[in-house]
Amino acid sequence: MENPKNQGKQKGQPNQNDAAFFNNKISRLQFFFLIVQTQIGVGVISLPYNLQQVAKQDGWISLIGASLIVQLIMFLHWLLMKNTPKQHLFMNLENILGRWIGKASTLLYSLYFIAVGALILILYTRIINLWMLINTPKWVLMAFMVAAGLYLISGTIKVLARAYTLFSGLMIILIVSLVYGIRDAHLIFIFPMGVEGLEPILKGVNEGILSLLGFAFVLIIYPLVEGTNKEKLKTIFYTQWFVLGFYLLVVFSTFTFFGAKEILLVPQPVLYMLKAYEFSVVERLDLFFISVWVVSVTTSFTTYLYMSGKGLKHMFNSKREMPFMIMMAIVAFILALTIGSGEQRIDQYGDVVMKFGYLFSGSLPVILLLVLFVRKKKHTGSGSK
Amino acid sequence: MGYRRRKSRRDKLIEEQPGNEADVKEPSQPSFSQLSQNIEYLTKALKHSNDLKIRILQDGQAALLFFETLSDQEKLQANIFTPIESGNFDSISKLPNGKKTDDLEEALKVLLRGHALYIEEGNKSLVYFTVTTTYNRNVKEPDNEKVVRGSHEGFVENIMININLIRKRLEHRDLTIKYFRVGKKTNTNIAIAYMDGITNPELVKEIKKRIKSVTADTILSPGFMEEFIEDNPMSPFPQTLSTERPDRVIANVMSGKVALLAEGSPTVLILPSTFFMFYQSPDDYNSRWVSGTFIRIIRLMSFLIAIGLPAMYIAIIGFHFEVIPDDLVSPVKSAIEQIAYPPFVEAFIMVIIIELIREAGIRLPQPVGQTIGIVGGLVIGDAVIRAGLISNLMVIVVALTAIASFVVPSHELSTTLRFLTFPLIILASTLGFIGIVFGIMFILIHLVKLESFGNPYFAPVSPLRIKDLKDTFVRLPLFKLTNRPNDANPINEKSMGESREWKRSGKSKKSRQTKGTTQPK
Amino acid sequence: MKKKGLLLLLCCVMLLTGCWDQRLFKDAKLIMGATFDLTEDGRVKDTVSILIPEAGTDRATEGHAHIETGIGHNLFDARNEIDKQLSYQFDPSKIEVLLIGEELAKKDIYSILDGYYRDPRNNLSAEVAVVEGEASKAFSIKTDQEPRVSEHIVGLLDAVAKTTHSHGDNVQLICAELFEPGIDIALPLLTVDTEANKINYKGLALFHDKKYSGISLDAEQATLLLLMNNKMGKVARITRQVSETGEPGMTRYLSAEVIKQNRDLKIKPSGGTISVDVNLDLYLNVVEYPKGKLTNPKVVAELEKQLSKTLTKEANEIISLLQESHSDVLGIGRRTEAFHYDTWKNMDWDKDFKTIMITPKVNVTIQEHGIVG
Repeated sequence: MENPKNQGKQKGQPNQNDAAFFNNKISRLQFFFLIVQTQIGVGVISLPYNLQQVAKQDGWISLIGASLIVQLIMFLHWLLMKNTPKQHLFMNLENILGRWIGKASTLLYSLYFIAVGALILILYTRIINLWMLINTPKWVLMAFMVAAGLYLISGTIKVLARAYTLFSGLMIILIVSLVYGIRDAHLIFIFPMGVEGLEPILKGVNEGILSLLGFAFVLIIYPLVEGTNKEKLKTIFYTQWFVLGFYLLVVFSTFTFFGAKEILLVPQPVLYMLKAYEFSVVERLDLFFISVWVVSVTTSFTTYLYMSGKGLKHMFNSKREMPFMIMMAIVAFILALTIGSGEQRIDQYGDVVMKFGYLFSGSLPVILLLVLFVRKKKHTGSGSK
Repeated sequence: MGYRRRKSRRDKLIEEQPGNEADVKEPSQPSFSQLSQNIEYLTKALKHSNDLKIRILQDGQAALLFFETLSDQEKLQANIFTPIESGNFDSISKLPNGKKTDDLEEALKVLLRGHALYIEEGNKSLVYFTVTTTYNRNVKEPDNEKVVRGSHEGFVENIMININLIRKRLEHRDLTIKYFRVGKKTNTNIAIAYMDGITNPELVKEIKKRIKSVTADTILSPGFMEEFIEDNPMSPFPQTLSTERPDRVIANVMSGKVALLAEGSPTVLILPSTFFMFYQSPDDYNSRWVSGTFIRIIRLMSFLIAIGLPAMYIAIIGFHFEVIPDDLVSPVKSAIEQIAYPPFVEAFIMVIIIELIREAGIRLPQPVGQTIGIVGGLVIGDAVIRAGLISNLMVIVVALTAIASFVVPSHELSTTLRFLTFPLIILASTLGFIGIVFGIMFILIHLVKLESFGNPYFAPVSPLRIKDLKDTFVRLPLFKLTNRPNDANPINEKSMGESREWKRSGKSKKSRQTKGTTQPK
Repeated sequence: MKKKGLLLLLCCVMLLTGCWDQRLFKDAKLIMGATFDLTEDGRVKDTVSILIPEAGTDRATEGHAHIETGIGHNLFDARNEIDKQLSYQFDPSKIEVLLIGEELAKKDIYSILDGYYRDPRNNLSAEVAVVEGEASKAFSIKTDQEPRVSEHIVGLLDAVAKTTHSHGDNVQLICAELFEPGIDIALPLLTVDTEANKINYKGLALFHDKKYSGISLDAEQATLLLLMNNKMGKVARITRQVSETGEPGMTRYLSAEVIKQNRDLKIKPSGGTISVDVNLDLYLNVVEYPKGKLTNPKVVAELEKQLSKTLTKEANEIISLLQESHSDVLGIGRRTEAFHYDTWKNMDWDKDFKTIMITPKVNVTIQEHGIVG
C-alpha cells in the first residue's frame, strides 16, 4: 500500500515458483475428502468427553452451534478466495499485507501449522501408549507417522488428494462400528435438554470449534479445485455437514451409551464403548477402531505438515518443496518429543495451540478479506475519478 | 526429482539424433561391381562363419549366398531354381520374387534374417530371396493362463504368427502395427499394436519415445523391455501386464491400450496397466456375469489375505490376543502352547519353506515336481508340527497365504504379493496392529503414487472413477459396459451403442403383434 | 534418492525396534474367571480359575482349570499375590466371569471393579454375578457339564439371560447405571451347594447405587421384573396356578411363553412428588394346560382375567420389594430427570423413592395355544 510501484512486481512474482503447483487440478470430490480427512482426526476419540465436561448432556447442541460458526467462517474464507482467483493463502498474505508483513505472517502460519502437527503427534502417541502399545517408545510411533506423512507429501498435491479419497473408504468402518454401538443406547441419557442454561452450551461451542479446526486447508487448495465458485461453495458446505453428521454420530452413540456421569470417568469414550463389544469372529473392537483411526490421524498430520512446509517454501521463494517439508517434519518431531508426556503438560500445550487456531484459521483470513474490500473500494473510488 | 532430471536429459539425447524417424542411423556400404569384392566384404563381415554357404553359379559369374542354418533348402529350390529350370526366366536376378538392394550392409542384414543373396559379376544390384526357415510350436494354450471356457489359443515365439493371431481376431483397418528394432547386437524385432482412433495419440507417442530410448545391446524378451520403459523400476509392483493370450490382448487393445510384442517370446506386454487389470481374467467374461463377479470378488479378497494374513496372525498371537473370541481361546492356546519359537520366526521359517518348495517344483520335470510337492507339503508340513517347531495354526495361515497369492491371474503380481508379506510380518512383530496399519498405508500410498505411462496405476479406485468401478470389483453384464475404462485415456470413450433395445421397445411391439395375430381369428 | 533415504530410515527404525510390547499368547497364564470375597480383616480374597491347555494333543482341546487364591489389600495386591505362585504372567484380558461374594457386594462393588475399568487390557465383556455366602466356593465345584468351572458359570449366566431371568449385563454395561443416580442395577444371584456339587441360579440381587441391598427376587419375580423393565430375553416363560381344583395337581397350572410384550411407564408429577403407572401388556402362547378347551373364547377370557390378577398382585409385591431395597431398577428416577426436570430438582431421590406411588398393572392376552386346542 505504501509504495504502489512495487505492487505490480509482487503480483507477478510468486506465480513463478508455484507454476507446478497450479498445474495440478483436483476434482470437487477430492476437495471434499481433503477437507473431511483434515478435520476428522485425532479429536474424534475424546470429543464427547470434552463436550460433556463443559456442556453436560447438551454437548450435541454445542456441536451444532460450533459447526454453524465454522460454516460462517468458511463462507468468509470462500469470499476471500473468490475475490483473489488463482491465489492461495500465502500469496494473499503478501499481496494484501505487503511483502514484509506478508512474509512474517507466512512464517507465523508455518509455525502455527507445525505446532498443530506436533500436537497431533503428541495426542496420537499418547492414545496408542495408553490403549495398545504401553511400552513402545514415543519416538518410534512418531517416526512412523512422520515417515508416512513425508511419503504422502513427496508426490504432488494430486497424490495427496487421491490418497485421502482412498483412505476415506476406511471411514465406513468407523461409522459402522459407531452405529453398532447404538444398539445398547439409552435414549433418555441425552435428556433433559437445555436445563443447564445457555452458558454451558456456549462453552461447549468452544470445544466443538476446536474439534473442527483444520478447515484452513481450504485457503490453500481452493484455487486448484475444478468448477465454478458456486459449486465449490456447495462442496464446502457439504464437507461441513458431513463432518457434523459424523461427529453427531460419535457424540450421540457415546452419550446414550454411557450417561452423563460415567462419561466424565472415561476420557476416550468412543474406544471405551467399543471395548466391550464382541462378535463371534473377533472381540475388542476398540483395537480395530484405533488401527483405522491412525489412518485418519495420519491424514490430518500430513495436511498440517504440508501446509507448514508450503508456507516456508513460499517464504523463501524456493522452487523445491521437499527440503522444507523434511525440515518441518523434523521440527514437529523434535517439538513433540520435547513436550513429551504427562496429561497436564499436553493439555496446556494443546490449549495454547488451539487458541492460536482462532487467530490463524478465523481472524486473520477475515482481516485479509476486510483489507481486500477496503482497498477495492478505494481502488474503484480512485478509478472513477 | 532426480528421476525426472535424468529423463529429460535422455529426451534431449533422443532429439539430438538426426535419424530419429528411421530406427537408428545405420552404416551403409555401397556394393562393388566386382563379385569377388562383394563376397570378400560379406564373408569378412560375417567373420568367415562356417554355416555361410556360397554357391558359385554360372561358371563363377554369379554366386548365391545363404546361411544353411537359417535357410530352408526346399524353399531355395522352389523359389529360385524351379522357376529358372522351367525356362521362363533367363537369369536369377530377373525373378519377380527377388528384391534388390545395392547396399552391402543391408545385404548383411537380410542374410542374417535367413534370406538368400544373389550376386552377379559386374552388376551392382544385389538380389535377395525370402527362404527363411522357421520352427514354430503350435498356438496351444499357455500353461500359466488357462481358462475353462473361451479361446484356447496362445501366442508363440514368432512375432509374425502372433500378429496374425491378433489381426485375425480384429479385422479392422484401424488396427495399427508399428515395427521397431531394439538391441544393438540382438537386433530384436518388436512391434506395438493399437487401435488408431481409440488409443490416445499422446500415449502412443510416449511409448514410441520410450522404446526408441532403449540402447542396450541385448533385448531378449518383453521382460527386458519392461524394465527399460516402465515408469518406476524401483516399485515392487509390475506396471505392465504380460499375457500370452490373444483374446486378452484384443480386449485391452480395444479399450485403448497398446500391446507390445517381441520376436522370440510369446509374452505380450499391455501398456499402460492398472493394478486391477491383474485381477481380471478372460474367464470372467466367458462365464455369466454373476458368477464372474463372484469369482472376481474372491480374487480381490485374496489380495488382502495374501499380504495381510500372516502379519495379522502374528499381531494377534504376539500382541493383541484380546481379540480372540472366547470360544477360540482354549483351542488356540493349546495349539501354540508347546512351540519353541516366537511367532515371527515361526512365520519366517514357514514362508521360506513354502517358497523353497514352490521354486523347486517349478524347475524340476513334472513327475519329480509332484514328488517335491508331496514331500514338501505333506511330509515336511506334518513333521514340523510334530517336532513342535511350528504350530498347526501357523501352517494353516501360511498355506492359506500361499494359496491366496496364487489366485492372482498374473504371475508377476503373485510374486510381488508373496514378497510384500515380509515387510508386513516384520512390522507386525514389532508394533502389532499399528505396524500393520502403517505397512498397509505405505503400500497404498505407493500404489496411489505409482503411474504407468502417465496413467494412475490404482485407477479407478484412486482417483475414484465411479463409472469404471463396474468392471473392477464386480463385472456387470457386458451390455452395461457402454464406456471404455478410462485407464488409458482413450479418445473414443463409447464402446457400444444401444444394445438390447428389443427388451424394452420390442416387448410392446411383440405384444402388439400377438394382439394383431389373435384378433383377426 | 530421497526415496532411498526414506527407505533407509525405515529400515533403521525397523532394525532398532525391539518388541517392546510383545506378550506372547503361549506364555500368558490366562485367567478365565475370578471371585472376590471380603476377608474378616477387611482385605480382598481373590480366587481365580486359570486355563491350562491340554499339552501334546493333536486336536484342539478345551483344557482344564487350575484354581489359585491370593489375599491382598486391594484387587491389584491380591493379583500380585497370585502372580507370585504362577509360572509366566498373570493375564486377565480374556476373563469370562466375575463373581462377587455377598459380603463384599453389600459394601461396594465399584471398589473391586475399578481396577477392571482402568486397565485397557481388561475384558469388559465379562459377566458379573453375586454369590450368596462366599464366592470362592463356586470355583471349588467340580462339574462334569463343562471342562472348566468358569465356562460352566458363563453358560449358566447366558442361559438365565436368555430366559429373561437376568439382564445379561457385563462389567461394561453396569458401569453407567452404577454412576447414574436415578437408575440401579440388579445382578444375578447364585448359590453354591458344595455338597451336591452344584451352582444354582437363585434370582436377582437388588442393588442400591453400588451396594447390594441384601434383598433379592426369586426366579419368577425376576422374569416379571424384567418384563416390566422392557428387557425381555429370547424367551420368557410363565407358569402360574389358574384354578383351585383339579386332580392331579398339575392340571391347575398353566404354562405360557411371552410372544410379545408392551410396557408403558407413565410418570405423573404432582405437587413436588410423582406417581408412577406401570402398565404391562403380555401376549402369551400357552405351552402347557392339560384342561385344554382353549378354542373356547369364554375359557380363554376367564384364564386371561385370572392370570392378569395373579400377575398384577405379584407385580405389586415386586414393587414393594424394590422400594424396600431402595433399588430403582426400572430407572424411574432417570426418566423423571429426563422428562420432568423441575420436579426432579426438588426431590431427594435417595429418600423419596421409597415414598412415591407406583401402581403396576399387568394385562394378559392369550394369543396362541400351541398346535392343539
